[in-house]
Amino acid sequence: MDNLKNEKEIAKSLRRKAISKNWKLFKQSRLGMVGLIIVFFFFILSILQPILFLTGIWDQGTYNPVVGYVDQTQDFLVVECPKEFPTEKYEKRTDCPGRNEVNIKTLFYSDGEVGETIQLNLQPAPPSRDHILGTDSLGRDVFSQIMEGSQVAFLLGILSATLGVGISTLLGTIAAFFGGRVDAYLMRQSDLVLMLPTLPLLFIISAFAELKIWHLAVVLGTIGGLGGSVITIKSQALQVKVKPFVDSARITGGSNMKILFSHVLPNVAPLALLFMVFSVTGAIASESVLSFLGLLNIEMSWGLMIYLAQVEGYIFSGLKFWWLILPAGLSVTFLTGGFYLVGRGLDEVFNPRLRKR
Amino acid sequence: MYKYIFKRIYQLVIVFFLFLVTSYILFDSIPGNAFQNMLLNPLLPPGAYEQVLALYGLDKPLSERIVLYITNFFKGDFGYSYKYYPKTPIELIAERLPRTLMLFAMVNIVSFYTGFLVGKILAWRRGSKSETWITITSVFSYTVFYPWFALMMLWFFGYKMDWLPIGKFLYPEKWYDAPFDSDVIFTLMIKFTVIVSIIQFLIYMFTRNIESLNSKRNLRFFGFILNIVGSFIFWNTGDALTKKIYAMDIAYHMILPVITVTIVAFAGTALLTRTTMMEVLKDDYILTARAKGLSQRRIRDRHAARNALLPVVTSFIFTIVTIIDGSVLTETIFSWPGMGQLILDSVLNEDIPVAMATFSFIGVFALVAHFIADISYAYLDPRIRIQSQG
Amino acid sequence: MSNILEVKNLTMHYETLDGDVDAVKDITFNVKAGESFGIVGESGCGKTSVAMCLLQLQAENGKISNGSILFDGQELVGMSENDLRKVRWDGISIVFQGAMNAWNPVVKVGEQIREAMREHNPKSTKSQNTEKINELFNMVGLDSSASERFPHELSGGMKQRAIIALALSCDPKLIIADEPTTALDVVIQDQILTEIKNVQELLGLSLIYISHDIAVIAEMTDKIAVMYAGSIVEIGPTEEVFKSPKHSYTRSLLDSTPSIMGEKKKLRSLEGEPPSLINKIDGCSFSPRCPSPSNECKNQSIEMGLIKVGIDHYADKCCSGCISE
Repeated sequence: MDNLKNEKEIAKSLRRKAISKNWKLFKQSRLGMVGLIIVFFFFILSILQPILFLTGIWDQGTYNPVVGYVDQTQDFLVVECPKEFPTEKYEKRTDCPGRNEVNIKTLFYSDGEVGETIQLNLQPAPPSRDHILGTDSLGRDVFSQIMEGSQVAFLLGILSATLGVGISTLLGTIAAFFGGRVDAYLMRQSDLVLMLPTLPLLFIISAFAELKIWHLAVVLGTIGGLGGSVITIKSQALQVKVKPFVDSARITGGSNMKILFSHVLPNVAPLALLFMVFSVTGAIASESVLSFLGLLNIEMSWGLMIYLAQVEGYIFSGLKFWWLILPAGLSVTFLTGGFYLVGRGLDEVFNPRLRKR
Repeated sequence: MYKYIFKRIYQLVIVFFLFLVTSYILFDSIPGNAFQNMLLNPLLPPGAYEQVLALYGLDKPLSERIVLYITNFFKGDFGYSYKYYPKTPIELIAERLPRTLMLFAMVNIVSFYTGFLVGKILAWRRGSKSETWITITSVFSYTVFYPWFALMMLWFFGYKMDWLPIGKFLYPEKWYDAPFDSDVIFTLMIKFTVIVSIIQFLIYMFTRNIESLNSKRNLRFFGFILNIVGSFIFWNTGDALTKKIYAMDIAYHMILPVITVTIVAFAGTALLTRTTMMEVLKDDYILTARAKGLSQRRIRDRHAARNALLPVVTSFIFTIVTIIDGSVLTETIFSWPGMGQLILDSVLNEDIPVAMATFSFIGVFALVAHFIADISYAYLDPRIRIQSQG
Repeated sequence: MSNILEVKNLTMHYETLDGDVDAVKDITFNVKAGESFGIVGESGCGKTSVAMCLLQLQAENGKISNGSILFDGQELVGMSENDLRKVRWDGISIVFQGAMNAWNPVVKVGEQIREAMREHNPKSTKSQNTEKINELFNMVGLDSSASERFPHELSGGMKQRAIIALALSCDPKLIIADEPTTALDVVIQDQILTEIKNVQELLGLSLIYISHDIAVIAEMTDKIAVMYAGSIVEIGPTEEVFKSPKHSYTRSLLDSTPSIMGEKKKLRSLEGEPPSLINKIDGCSFSPRCPSPSNECKNQSIEMGLIKVGIDHYADKCCSGCISE
């Protein structure tokens, strides 16, 4: 009994040592650390929102990312835009109406004469002290939407990556370990999945099933898990399979299952972890593309924010409404980039040939 | 070896068959059908909807339709498009494919070449400041949210600066009295591009074995100039001269999509090249090359980069497979009427014959490419030959 | 004869995550023109590190902290990469440990040799180069058609011979042979050793032969240095060292090698393992494994350093007392 306990403790301390060594190696890669910081930043954002709501610092009515609304009004000068440019006041067509001005032709709900000053609802409102990233055209707080979006991204990314990598690791090791018919079947199955064009496939699926985040995570995870990664994991597992320790385990009478789970799987795990980090990137990007095309049935996400900005025509207003365009797009880019950098750092930890020393 | 190839072909046929069945079931499972909006038209006589369904065979049960479709498919009959009725899917693909190929062949060649160059330099300058900055830029363009980035590019170059056209692949007003179809021009442009690249490639291959480094470089440069002069003469004589303005118009419209997609696509290759090259740099023969006193450049290009090329070429093959799949988003954003839009259009309109034809086109394309990659790999590397027997 | 290579107080360490590893400690030796010099020692004692320092090809994290390497009157330590390129292969060439991996798999063998020749004699024509390669291939016992093959089409022994041809291609003054026969079977090993010996005598080159196999060293060299844990513990004319080894490590090495000639002796193997070089060692690094350490050795009170024990024969002073049993 004592022996067993001792052994466990030794194993524990060994594991701890390995982790601290890997951490040391990871710290070597500066860009990997940058990635980790970015991911951590978005993680903080995603948990900060519920905290703000719970503590009452933000009230749901104003800051709810989906239904929040607050009146913001401002004085505007009513002007009439000339037909020909340039004039004295405006150089280009895009300059009219200027700041704090409103074109009389776009006044639908209130009366006003040219030259008069009227009070109008200011939506989308530029960043202010209450709304650090301004509000969108429906008066919803953009910062709160970004936070909600990062929750969605984390949930979806990690869920689908875990599922996908779980599937592909299992199938890949099984294919490598049993070989023969099982292998042939699994390989052809991933051929089949690879043949289906991803984006049109997702269109079809979104057409007959209303996709929520959970469903999308399952769909993305399954497609990713059955596809190309099975082949890569299999080739890694094949390399492990012919290592001497597997043979010695077999000679000492380990059952197939035992060898698979206690020898092959742990040695494939680093690669699987790497895949997982990279597939988080893919999942977040896919979600954003689908929301961007308006095919998802979710309430808020970064892709949806860009979709709304595009549909309402703010994208071509350039940087005048930058808070509707830049934060969401940059969030997607940075979070996927952050995960990618972390993956690259891990790659350097697990692949000694990439290391500097 | 032959046994292995036959086994693979046999498996491929089964996979393709399954692919057809799966796709058909997927399309069928989309609620509604292509003619559903006829029900909303009050002017149509009652029963017209059912008649149309019967005409297209859509009233039969799913299993019967699948069997019918697949037998016809292998007979070479792909049916008619529901939406563009008298046209067959083959006609539609023949019309759209050159446009997509023209755009993406260009993008892929440019992005793989620049990506390889950049990746090479990245691995070589490891640890330097410039490496860090180039890596950050590449990672940014690799992970940038593509539709957003494309829209920003459209806004900046097309709208704000007004340098390049927004959307569409030609100015319709220029084509009012054009004596030929845009497809004719596209085909001509593709032929031209392919021939020019083949000549360039041949020049490269022929000068490969020249001993003196100087004369090799000079000959290559000379060949390059000759190629450019040749293309200039081609476009200014005979038949091509009349087509020149139209080709120019299309080329002008291609600039923005090509730049945008290249920026996004080159980074993947650059990062991949960097990784494989860094692995290669740890190999012993690099040490031999250094001990031999070769110049840094020669070690980099001749010894390291050449060995890092194989995985990159593989990824190139696989990228070609995903051209059509990847074109969906680009073509939607730049309103480029190619294969991607055709797929999207047919899926959204449930134009099953067209959708099936495009899907199976992609499927065959992918299968053949995978097959070639598999076989050539097994041929090149004896170690893989043993592994992939399963 | 003049010294072609003078290594003085060479000290080199690797910077690793766990700390500095002192791989080469304060090494001094000379090689005369036409002489063959052997370095012998266990795996990991720093032999290959010395070889790499001589070519200034040590790994990126290997730092030379002290010492000088004079080759033909030129100081190699701190020389610029461009100047070094001229010394490499033209002055010093090397036969690497694993010939299997020393060839670039995608370039023909002959082309890889010609490449080096082109670099150092840019004026010679292709036919001249090819002629020379054929000559070299004949010299090392290879068919000249082998130059038109890819590395993977050659057997291990052929590759190793071709590597020797490669090393000779630019008429170097000094060849470093770093365990050139480790991966080969005994018959081929013997052939290749003979080949190297012949070529060296024929062309009058200097040779540094590095091996863990003291028998091979005995056969090949005029003078040897015995390395232990990064330092030279004994250095002298081969015959002299073999006849009367002064350091107890040298003695243990000799005792653990069977000899066909002479009386039968019981082989004695050396207990223990070489020390990890990551920790600083006080006193004699060999004392923990020494079969008959003196008291001073045990107390680790003596600093290491060579003292003269015979004509041109030096041994570490820690052990000079303990051996005279």
